[in-house]
Amino acid sequence: MLTSVDESPVAASVAGSAASSAANAPASSAADDPRRAPLLTVRGLDAGYGKIGILHGIDLEVAAGEIVAILGPNGAGKSTLMRAVSGLLPLSAGSVTFAGADLSRSTPRATARAGLVHVIEGHRVFTQQSVIDNLMLAGYDAPRAERRARIEEALTFFPEIAAKRHERAGALSGGQQQMLVVAQGLVKRPRLLILDEPSAGLSPVLVDRVLSVAAQLRAQGTAIVLVEQLVEKALALADRVYALAQGRVAMQASTRESDLPARLERAYFGEHGRVANQ
Amino acid sequence: MSVDSELQTRRPIAMTGAGGAAGAGGAGASGGQATHSGHHRNEDWRKVWPFLAIFALAALLPLAGNNYWTVIATRAAIYWILVSGLNLVVGYAGQLAIGYVALLTLGAYITSVLAAGNVLPPMPPFLALICAGIGGGVFGLVVGLPALRLRTFYFAMATLGFATIVTQIALAWQDVTGGGIGLSGPAMPAPFDSEMGLFYLCLGLAVLCTLLTANIARSRYGRGLIAIRDAEVAAEASGISKVRLLSLIFIFAGVLAAVAGGLFASLQTYITPDAFTFELSVLFFIAILIGGRGSILGPLLGTIILTVLPELAAPLAAWSNFLYALMLLVIVLAAPGGIAALLDFRSRRPLPANRRIIPDAAPLDRLLSRNGKEHGRGGVGDDASNDARNHTNGSARNNVSNSAAGISLHDVVLGFGGVRAIDGLTLAITPGQVHGLIGPNGSGKTTTLNVISGYYRPQEGTLRLDGAPLPAGQPLLRAAHGIARTYQTPRIIGEASVLDNVMIGGTLHGQASFVETLLRLPRHKRDDTSLRQAAYDALQAVGLAALADARADRLQHSELRFLEIARALVLRPAFLLLDEPAAGLAAEEIRQLGELIRHISRHGTGVLLVEHHADLIFDICDHVTVLNLGRVLADGTPAQVREHKEVVSAYLGG
Amino acid sequence: MLGSIIASGLAMGAVYALIGITYNTMFATSRVMSFTAGQLGMLGGVLGSLFMLKVGLPPWLAFIATLLGCAVVGLVTELVAVRPVLKSLDQHLYVLSTLALALMIQQVTAIEWGTEPQPFPRLFNVGSGLMDEKFWLPVVACALVVLGLEYLYRRTLVGMAFLAVAEDNFAARALGLPERRLRVWSYVLAAAIGGIAGFASGQLMLAFFANGTLLNFYGFVPVALGGLGNNRGALIGGLALGLFQQAANFTVGGVFSSIAVFVLFIVVLLAVPQGLFGSATARRV
Repeated sequence: MLTSVDESPVAASVAGSAASSAANAPASSAADDPRRAPLLTVRGLDAGYGKIGILHGIDLEVAAGEIVAILGPNGAGKSTLMRAVSGLLPLSAGSVTFAGADLSRSTPRATARAGLVHVIEGHRVFTQQSVIDNLMLAGYDAPRAERRARIEEALTFFPEIAAKRHERAGALSGGQQQMLVVAQGLVKRPRLLILDEPSAGLSPVLVDRVLSVAAQLRAQGTAIVLVEQLVEKALALADRVYALAQGRVAMQASTRESDLPARLERAYFGEHGRVANQ
Repeated sequence: MSVDSELQTRRPIAMTGAGGAAGAGGAGASGGQATHSGHHRNEDWRKVWPFLAIFALAALLPLAGNNYWTVIATRAAIYWILVSGLNLVVGYAGQLAIGYVALLTLGAYITSVLAAGNVLPPMPPFLALICAGIGGGVFGLVVGLPALRLRTFYFAMATLGFATIVTQIALAWQDVTGGGIGLSGPAMPAPFDSEMGLFYLCLGLAVLCTLLTANIARSRYGRGLIAIRDAEVAAEASGISKVRLLSLIFIFAGVLAAVAGGLFASLQTYITPDAFTFELSVLFFIAILIGGRGSILGPLLGTIILTVLPELAAPLAAWSNFLYALMLLVIVLAAPGGIAALLDFRSRRPLPANRRIIPDAAPLDRLLSRNGKEHGRGGVGDDASNDARNHTNGSARNNVSNSAAGISLHDVVLGFGGVRAIDGLTLAITPGQVHGLIGPNGSGKTTTLNVISGYYRPQEGTLRLDGAPLPAGQPLLRAAHGIARTYQTPRIIGEASVLDNVMIGGTLHGQASFVETLLRLPRHKRDDTSLRQAAYDALQAVGLAALADARADRLQHSELRFLEIARALVLRPAFLLLDEPAAGLAAEEIRQLGELIRHISRHGTGVLLVEHHADLIFDICDHVTVLNLGRVLADGTPAQVREHKEVVSAYLGG
Repeated sequence: MLGSIIASGLAMGAVYALIGITYNTMFATSRVMSFTAGQLGMLGGVLGSLFMLKVGLPPWLAFIATLLGCAVVGLVTELVAVRPVLKSLDQHLYVLSTLALALMIQQVTAIEWGTEPQPFPRLFNVGSGLMDEKFWLPVVACALVVLGLEYLYRRTLVGMAFLAVAEDNFAARALGLPERRLRVWSYVLAAAIGGIAGFASGQLMLAFFANGTLLNFYGFVPVALGGLGNNRGALIGGLALGLFQQAANFTVGGVFSSIAVFVLFIVVLLAVPQGLFGSATARRV
């Protein structure tokens, strides 16, 4: 079940809509729709830290202009997966393909250049430098002439921080810093933007603010991968959802399906031992 | 689910004869379990023969008739006396003391000054040597103490500075040291005043020093030093006191270095400050690193090589310092383990490919029931005194009413920079129960563990053990209270064997003093045997006995997790704190982990299990506490918690 | 006498401060304290003397050649002693690799250049007595370097990138900054700074191979006092150290001034391990 680019994502609500496929139908795949070949394809991905294997055999697809939410309890490997995709972490197995190019062994710099931009969790801005300098750094690889233009473009999404452009990033509030790191991502003109836990530590108002920017981006055709703890808000915004548990994809579905909350709960807690027996 | 019926007594996997010494290193003895006495003798021989060969060859050297080489050999022996002690500081404890020539200088001057009678009436040389040793011990401690506060690089720099100072003092204090002119070294009494005589004296002392340092290296002191170097946090939790251990080693190394200095002065017959160059310090330091850390044989070979190298050819002599540095660079980049690692053929033998971890109940029972119902104080040594001690402890424990038994936290608050990691937590760990602690990331689970283990000091609230307050901020004392733990990321010593790693857990049980260990007196031997047996039992209990002699860094991640549990078990803990032990484990291993934990708790140990694996928690816990944002969200039996609506939504977010 | 103390104290202090900045610049992008910092200072003087007196180059050309030589050493340091070690888990290895490299540099210099201090020519014929070139040149050089670094870090993108990598290496990587290239460039920059320190202090310290060890230690003290990575702290610490040392030299004499410096160093470090201006890092459990 896919939503096309023109439909409003707000219609997909947790309470369910009339159009719901059987719970056990093959998961909605972007590849089914000829209008939309997947922009990002992850196949059989294994990754971990040193000897500790965290991810096992992850398959994932994201089409252009859709928002995909990645949910799961802590320790499931959501951030690890994003890092593996963007090149911050090496893969032990599997592949990452983006816009036809194989990015399995790329550095974060190369993936960003290809259009896959990862905004890491924790709103880690460079506190000793100004807002504008932080954005200039995001435009390090951009041609000099374009840098200013791109920065202004990014700031149009966040007038709150545009007003503070000469202040030290360390002086901003947590919410403003989160907006700044998303703006940094936008300076790179992403085709696919990964937002890793953008809501962490933010008040509900600010969370909505950041997520509305994500909706705006989708309207412009940017794909978004959203890693989130706040399940309801993520489901309200996203087109499709993957649930990760213990390093594996436990479930994937369109957000239009009706019994998502129950399915998610089962995915996390297992059927009291079902997950352990996989 | 009944655990006991599933845990049948399986036969332990037989030792595949992969036992044996840790290669040429002689480092941290392994494999000498009491149950494998035949092996024991084989391994000892394998470790010892290289030393015998070297010293035998050395002893025969003067008979070749070449005096020049006798002098070189004497110098090598003297250097080795210093290096053997420094080896414990640099190679074992990992403290980068680069400026050790300072102690050589000190020893040389003290001996010479006392023997010459510049300050006091002239002393017989041997007495002067002893005084130098005492001086060396004191200054060794002075030089070494900053190591406890300073980071690696800073400490290295400080020792460099110290070396410069000592040389300058020697230059300046002309009345005593003769300044730039120098003074004569002590003349040893006959028969040691000839070249051959001095050589045999130095050789004898070198052999003695080898024995002494090897005794320390292979004991709980040696293991403790390596633990401080590579797994400091875990060492602390096992009760190893960095301050105490390092102080002992610095004093010991200082004594050896100063004695070497006195002999050096005797060899040179005349000393001036420029005999003690920075290059000499570098030689000692590099000899250890080329030889390999955690080894006795390696640095011995390193010392010999570096002493002999400049003598082999004239151009080598000119470029000798450059070559030393080049060798160091090559070793660091290509073979960080040094010669010892290169010679360690055993550790390159492949481990069985499809090995499985199979825990075993019988050794666990043997280990934990060993000293009756007492936990944590189950010491080593003869049973009579043990029972007596158990009695006093036992009675102290029995006097505590049941309700207060166990670890209890009450309204604990702990914040970091304005954020409350724990916000009013009340929790109780009861002996004999498995208590689960779950919650989303950032809920304060690990922080709670760290408070109980003493790393963090709560700002409010109380922490009690059996009703008595548990001192906060003192992780070192926890082991003595019978509290053991594992870590989110396994903290083990990669370069040491699995058995050595496990024996670290039982360090507190050792009763032999440093001197007794130095001289390998009977009490040390009893300690060692008992600890080794307990460690082996622990390894069998967790199912890793077949890997006892393997280097720990060759183990898979899941095996390391079980290794940490074995290490905790050797303490015979009253309380076991487990930090996400199931992370990274396969399904079958998780099941075995669960059984193991249940079995441990049946012996009366109170277990606190912090976990993300909800299924493991619900399967084996008697009691579950759910944390969220530092507060208790739910608390009760697994069934109760599972039904709790807020728990489900906390996990799903929102 | 006060004049002498101030003149020589500030001059030596400026040299120490520059070496401290060399340490800091290397540390910022790699978290490595490199023993080659002092050796670079030594090379500044030795190479300068070599190019001017032995090869006969004019001073400005010799200066450039010296900086190039030092840059190569900086490059080699990063390539050989730092990069391979950063990949391994063992933290202390960088101490050994940079120590080994520093010793190699020192020994080659001792053998090829000689173990006697060689003269270093006057560059400008300005000043004499207390205002002699050997006193004001190091101070001027230090000031120029500090100003230059300010400009680099505040006004150029590369400089800002250095700061970013120094503050949060992971975030910088995630943002797509070319971490490795920046590290290499910062080592080259640090080496150039060390070379400038040595070249400017050639008259003061002479071209002497043993300067390396001396500068290693005395250049490190400002870092220890001022806090790791803190250039302002290194500047203040260096000047203070220079003045203190010269004051002790003139009043109580050579040996005791060394002891005084050393004792001060140890006492401050033990009391404030992170330096007077540095920040403490909590232990991670």
